[in-house]
Amino acid sequence: MNTDMTRSDVRPTAPGFDTTIDGGPDQTLALERVVDAIVDDCCFAVGQGVGLRATLDFDAITYLCEHFRPKFLMAMRHFGNRWLEDRQTVTAVAMMLGERAVRYANGAATIGLDDVRRAAADVERYCQLHSARRTRGRGDANTEGATARIAGYWCTWDPKP
Amino acid sequence: MSVDQIDFIVNDCLLAAGQGIGTEKSVDFAAIAWWRDRYRRFFLHAITVLGNSYEADRARVTAVGRYLGQRALFHAASSPSIDLRAAELASHDVETGCRMNAVREGLSPGMPAATA
Repeated sequence: MNTDMTRSDVRPTAPGFDTTIDGGPDQTLALERVVDAIVDDCCFAVGQGVGLRATLDFDAITYLCEHFRPKFLMAMRHFGNRWLEDRQTVTAVAMMLGERAVRYANGAATIGLDDVRRAAADVERYCQLHSARRTRGRGDANTEGATARIAGYWCTWDPKP
Repeated sequence: MSVDQIDFIVNDCLLAAGQGIGTEKSVDFAAIAWWRDRYRRFFLHAITVLGNSYEADRARVTAVGRYLGQRALFHAASSPSIDLRAAELASHDVETGCRMNAVREGLSPGMPAATA
């Protein structure tokens, strides 16, 4: 893990900022930085969803970051940086993940790794169902790429690695 | 906890700040990016230079993170979202409190991240 990056140079500055990443070391590094910032944003939103009802174990937070970061990276590689367009939707899903984790903790003071795993599975399932429904609605049935695009950051699978 | 986990530590603290805000207001991306830049530097300094242990300090640090979120909520007042200005004011509040705490505990001032 790179420990000396700063994030100030990766902040998107224009609404609707949308860049297709075409590879190369510079672009890859830039993409990694953008994804780090997105993971931060999503962790923040998970916390909003949990509120002051419970604390989270550190390994649960580590799991969240390690689990979703590759998915975000994959989504960025396929569809470009659509974060400012998608942010509201994705952070809302992150809040939902927090809410689900609280529910799985079932009144405990601390949310553990298993609770977060189950919550993550819920939101991914939700995103897949939602994206499949929207894909059908658009007449793109059986188009895996179209479904992945709509599913976006949370449950992107890679049609063509 | 080693330096290579610094990003997880920052994520942990940002999540705690989000807890302090709750779902009442949204937060501008610029505010989160600013917090991340600022506290990543502080935490890195605390761990590498001052020798702090995040495992030992985690409960206290995340409690301060939640307080940071609550202060940002306060400074946002009636605004629909928490912007960079509210984030900066909240950080000022928290860091002032941390410096006072450091002095009270007999530590040298000017090391907010190390003691919070």
